[in-house]
Amino acid sequence: MKHATALLVSVFMAATAGAQEDQFSTVITPAFSPITWERLVDARNEPNNWLMYSGTLDSQRYSLLDSINTDNVGQLEMKWAYQIPVIDRAETVPLVVDGIMFITEAPSNVVAVDARTGREYWRYDHEMPDDLRICCGRNNRGVAILGETLFMSTLDAHLVAIDARTGNLLWDTEVAPHDSGYSKTAAPLIVKDKVVTGIAGGEFGIRGFIDAYDPATGEREWRTYVIPGPGEFGNDTWSDDSWKTGGAATWITGSYDADLNQIYWGTGNPGPDWNGDVRLGDNLYSDSVVALNGDSGEIVWHFQFTPHDVHDYDSIQVPILADIEFNGRQRQVMMWANRNGFYYTLDRSNGEFLIGKPYAAQTWAQGLDPVTGRPIRVPGMAPTYEGIMVSPPIVGATNWYSPGYSQDTGLFYVTSFDGEQEFFKRDEDYEEGERFTGGGGRYTSPMDAFHSSIRAINPETAEIEWEFPIMPRSSAGITTTAGGLVFTGSADGYFFALDASSGEELWNISLGRRVHAAPMTFAVDGEQFVTIASGNVVYTFGLRD
Amino acid sequence: MIIHLGRLKPNLRWLAISIVALGFSDYPSSLLFQSAQAEDAGNLYNTAVDIRMGNRYFERQCSRCHGFDAKGNDETGAPNLTGRLRRASSDAGIFNIIREGVPGTAMLPVAADVPDATVWQLVAYINSLRYDPLSVELAGDAETGNRLFNGKADCSGCHMVNGRGGRLGPDLSRIGENKTPEDLLLSLMDPDQEVAPRWWTVRAAGADGVIREGFRMNEDSFSLRIMDTDSNLWSFQKRELENYERLEKSTMPSYAETLSDGELDDLVAYLFSLRREVLPQ
Repeated sequence: MKHATALLVSVFMAATAGAQEDQFSTVITPAFSPITWERLVDARNEPNNWLMYSGTLDSQRYSLLDSINTDNVGQLEMKWAYQIPVIDRAETVPLVVDGIMFITEAPSNVVAVDARTGREYWRYDHEMPDDLRICCGRNNRGVAILGETLFMSTLDAHLVAIDARTGNLLWDTEVAPHDSGYSKTAAPLIVKDKVVTGIAGGEFGIRGFIDAYDPATGEREWRTYVIPGPGEFGNDTWSDDSWKTGGAATWITGSYDADLNQIYWGTGNPGPDWNGDVRLGDNLYSDSVVALNGDSGEIVWHFQFTPHDVHDYDSIQVPILADIEFNGRQRQVMMWANRNGFYYTLDRSNGEFLIGKPYAAQTWAQGLDPVTGRPIRVPGMAPTYEGIMVSPPIVGATNWYSPGYSQDTGLFYVTSFDGEQEFFKRDEDYEEGERFTGGGGRYTSPMDAFHSSIRAINPETAEIEWEFPIMPRSSAGITTTAGGLVFTGSADGYFFALDASSGEELWNISLGRRVHAAPMTFAVDGEQFVTIASGNVVYTFGLRD
Repeated sequence: MIIHLGRLKPNLRWLAISIVALGFSDYPSSLLFQSAQAEDAGNLYNTAVDIRMGNRYFERQCSRCHGFDAKGNDETGAPNLTGRLRRASSDAGIFNIIREGVPGTAMLPVAADVPDATVWQLVAYINSLRYDPLSVELAGDAETGNRLFNGKADCSGCHMVNGRGGRLGPDLSRIGENKTPEDLLLSLMDPDQEVAPRWWTVRAAGADGVIREGFRMNEDSFSLRIMDTDSNLWSFQKRELENYERLEKSTMPSYAETLSDGELDDLVAYLFSLRREVLPQ
């Protein structure tokens, strides 16, 4: 309570000071006003700001801003660049709140800059132990905001709360012990009065969960394991005690439907990744989407994309929610292009499978059951000791990088990869804090030999409407705008804009290093900007003055 | 071991990756207390068992980035560990990289509680991916091969060695460091078997109707750069081209019919000798 009072006082003082000092600010709006839950629910109608990782709670990554559009996008020019001091790859999607941008950096730092100039207000450097257990790089993808507090996952599996005006640490909660193989990389999601967040560590034999925390105190409100324990529904889909080390990490940000009061979250691969012999059964709820009650965190329904996965096909994709006409009827759907090579449209009110088809090269399944959506496996495609070629490769037909959806075109956009890889199986015993993967893979062709593209999928038919080839494989997310644009990037260091209707290339710029993040767009003083991280630099573009 | 590189059975012919097992039955107790920063005291953990243990550790801990075959990964930037190592030239150098990581890259140090013995076993495994060229004795004569290279076979018309030769194929100055004699023979007999994307051919038709063809030096999502047979460098925006096509084949002729078995052996011996350090006679 003491803490909450202090926050209120600082809000009042800042509001008063802001009114007096407008003339000295590069930002016309007063210093930012607190982000209420109501503002987050209505984030689409506040397009000057980018208030959460996926822009809005439905994660469409669709902005109503249209001053940059198909007619003038060719006139974009760089306005500023921010160089991240720690050399590593940047997967950050910054937030913008009333002219202030919050950028996360590797390993788990935050910097607040003036969104018009990229010049720093403050930075927070997270103190990090030196015995991290991380599978795939020192990544952080962004923060969440509620009130005047930022919430960030850290690589040592903590959740921290940071004062958005100063960068001061407000609280620091250990979510799980990092030396057991837990880590955290994804931006949290605010749901009403809670901070909802997942966990990483699927290559270390963890037991995945989704948590909710009190934003004022950092105390845990609930935890929902996405691997059921003894006596719970689904525990019998794990042989013996394999559920204890079954992975199913929840390492990307989910979505929320305020009307249905459901949180939607993807889950990762079962562990060990490539040796399913020690975890016979479907392995619920690995490689699934789970719908949780927005208050209690209880699982309302689930849909498992890849039962008993042995190829590391995490369902770690951001769920996109939209209300569309489907077979002549208005449906509340969820759109999902999975790492396993299939695209799915589900009814998000109950998890019903509506349609699904391959959207990228895949050789492991004959197709999906037309009623249940369960994959019909091709026999003999599990990893072997000698190695077996399977498509998609381990990195997947897509992966964690955000897809996008445009309300104007009704199309779903995804970065896709048609690759293949040789998969191997190995026998491994679980040891706490050690990798627990049971195999691995190797490419037998150079990356240039594979096909990659941005694909636009019609969610009603699951057919690809157009594709734009890129090379090599991309790990960039997608953002769409009311200006008729699709913004994304590529592994060869381009940032570019396509016509959302036709896929026609409208603009590109070479930024020199891999784009490993999703773009976001915002406005200051009525002027629209678009921001993307490439290499270790965050670039912001706007129209020529 | 004398190895004759006759033709037609390339997979069975070359078996010379020999690992010398030193056969220590007990490790000196002093090794248990080696400092974390290794100096060049050599690696005593290099029995066949150590290599196997190192291999298992590698598959579990390292293959995510370096690949299950240790050949690296363009995407993660993890280097190929099966040929010449860029950052280490000794066992101690490899040890230190594993122990300390490489700052500013995704190469993290191993966990502090991993025993030195395990790291040394990993060093032994990485070393086993290469081999001591002195353990290979080839049937061909390198000197004769050198004359063939610059004469009858005219390899130097396209390939450079130490700054002399053509530009129409890879620089071969250090080819012996990364290729086995078997690889080299295969490349001579069947150049299309494995062609690096750098040596694919691109044929690009400009809006002016002019078609230009050359080596695919670099291609990305929106542009491509080629070198034509006159060594002219061209850069194109794809959207400005009428069309372009990619030939994933080698421009090198096969020598399977034009050289004798003996000449092929000589050429392989010469190519295998091309490395930075001159091997002692």
